[in-house]
Amino acid sequence: MKVYPYKRITGEIGLEVTSVRQEREGFYQHDLETWAFSTQERVVALHQVERDDWESVRLGVTAILPGKEIAEGPWTDISVIAVLTEKATNSRTTARLERVAGKDGSWTGHLRFWRSAYRSRADLSVVAVATVDGVRGRMIGRAEEPWIVDLTARTPVRQREMIINQVDFTSGPEWLRPFRDAPWLVETSGDLPTVHLNAGFEGVSELLDSSGGPLERAVRDMLAAQIATDVWTAVFHSAVSDLEVDEHGNPQWPGGWRDAVLRGMLADVLPDHSEADALREIDARRREGSGWNELQPRINYAAGRRAKVAKNLGTAIRTLDTSQRESRA
Amino acid sequence: MTDKPEHLPERLALLADINAAKFLSTGVLSGHEAPPYIALNKITDPVDAKGVRTEVVPIRDLIDDVMHLFRDDARTKADAWLAPRLHAALRLSRREASDSRLWSFLALAVAPDYVVWRHLPTKGRNGLPPMVAASRFSGAHYTQAFSRLWWAAELFRDGSDYGPVQVACGNQDVLNTVLRLDIIDHRPTAQALIRLVAKETVTTGREVNALAVVTNAAASTLMYDVLAEDEEWDGGAFDAWVEEADSAPPVPRKVLPTGPDDGPVPLAAIDALAGRFEELFKDARVRGRTEVTDQLGDD
Repeated sequence: MKVYPYKRITGEIGLEVTSVRQEREGFYQHDLETWAFSTQERVVALHQVERDDWESVRLGVTAILPGKEIAEGPWTDISVIAVLTEKATNSRTTARLERVAGKDGSWTGHLRFWRSAYRSRADLSVVAVATVDGVRGRMIGRAEEPWIVDLTARTPVRQREMIINQVDFTSGPEWLRPFRDAPWLVETSGDLPTVHLNAGFEGVSELLDSSGGPLERAVRDMLAAQIATDVWTAVFHSAVSDLEVDEHGNPQWPGGWRDAVLRGMLADVLPDHSEADALREIDARRREGSGWNELQPRINYAAGRRAKVAKNLGTAIRTLDTSQRESRA
Repeated sequence: MTDKPEHLPERLALLADINAAKFLSTGVLSGHEAPPYIALNKITDPVDAKGVRTEVVPIRDLIDDVMHLFRDDARTKADAWLAPRLHAALRLSRREASDSRLWSFLALAVAPDYVVWRHLPTKGRNGLPPMVAASRFSGAHYTQAFSRLWWAAELFRDGSDYGPVQVACGNQDVLNTVLRLDIIDHRPTAQALIRLVAKETVTTGREVNALAVVTNAAASTLMYDVLAEDEEWDGGAFDAWVEEADSAPPVPRKVLPTGPDDGPVPLAAIDALAGRFEELFKDARVRGRTEVTDQLGDD
């Protein structure tokens, strides 16, 4: 845990988005219905909501600070700032929230951001700042759970692990044509990993969409698990090879989906290391090559675990057993 | 050495990383072979934008000019000239500029000769011929040959004034170190850092790195946005600048172009942070910097 040389808020800081207003200057202002943002998932979904030509969005933001602790603490000159950031666009938008009269610890305000400055998924948080021990501008706390503002999602869902793109490899984009006899292909360069599913490979799409008898379902789940294993292996390698290092040569957590992949899989790949050590270790092994080959079975294992290969295989074998017994009977 | 592509595409396009990767052969990276332009242009995707902003020729002209102007100079000097002009010629939104496929396309289909000219090291490694790092063709925003210049221009310009961009790009350590920091996403912070470079309070690579380290570390407990408040960004003025691309004259070669008029960074905010950064920097222990510190004390 990080140690700070001054007193910070120990209580929780809550954050809610209370309204979402789309705007196009001189044309319209439009408050979105509540289905566009979810308090449960903590996501605002902005893709193709109502109008597609919006220029900016004004988010109504409320922060709840532990009122009693604030009143009794050593902080003066408290301000509460809403912060929207996105790594891909290096964009950062801030807005000062105002104290709500008569409501202890409650702060509210609006944060306006422009569509042209953001690309896909931005993080919304609030930071409490105060003067402590005579030092102005100290950060004394931030919201436990940030929100996600998703410009590409139609519905407010937090977990998006991959994009499934059904395309016929023989008639689709030129670059997919050399792969026409492959049932699927994993691409990891974008904002999210993408599985290109070859619609020209007869039966694959139907099989994955099937909900037939137990045997069919077992085969479907096995196939899904195999694709998932491929995806996890590919995203892991991609995340490791894209690691950035700071000025001391320490690898940095990459953010976005790569971050989630590494944190999840490193626990299986290098089980005896702390998260930070595992990241350093994996980066060093890949760079220097020593011990990299030895890690491959472990990476495979970690990918298989995430894809639930063992569970699906087990189910498939049991289903086969049962159906054989039934056909014999 | 790689030549200008004999076949230039008419419009800007997008080249996916997975496709860019397959053209980054030893021959292309060492400048001995040109990328296979025909095959390459077949697998690109069109950009969403329309009009003059998508034309390749104005960008290619800039590349020809920069390679001519700096033909006898250290190649690093070209950055300060090209960055503001590339930014003003492309007129991209951040949304568009965050698409790495556009930059890969520029590097491979429009100006591989520039990438080799600018980034080929003098010596090879492990007995191989000198080779441009693949990340200069297709890589992170602060590494790729063109995106690093565009982002430097975007993050260091003071509203429509590209002056600070020239300062930033005139110092390779600023481009290599400061451009990576998240703290410069706050405009007054970026301007305050550049002011210390412009005033020559920091000059050497070691000093720039020390400044980057201390200001970045202090940002883990201090919120610069509160110490130095920025005005709300005028996204409407920026969008208007992008839309005016069709009627804009070519980017001036002799004087600095004018950027989007989306509001200057408040001077008081830059003052507040520059003073603070200067103190942080003086306190910093820069290895082998005792002499320099003494000189600073005399000023």
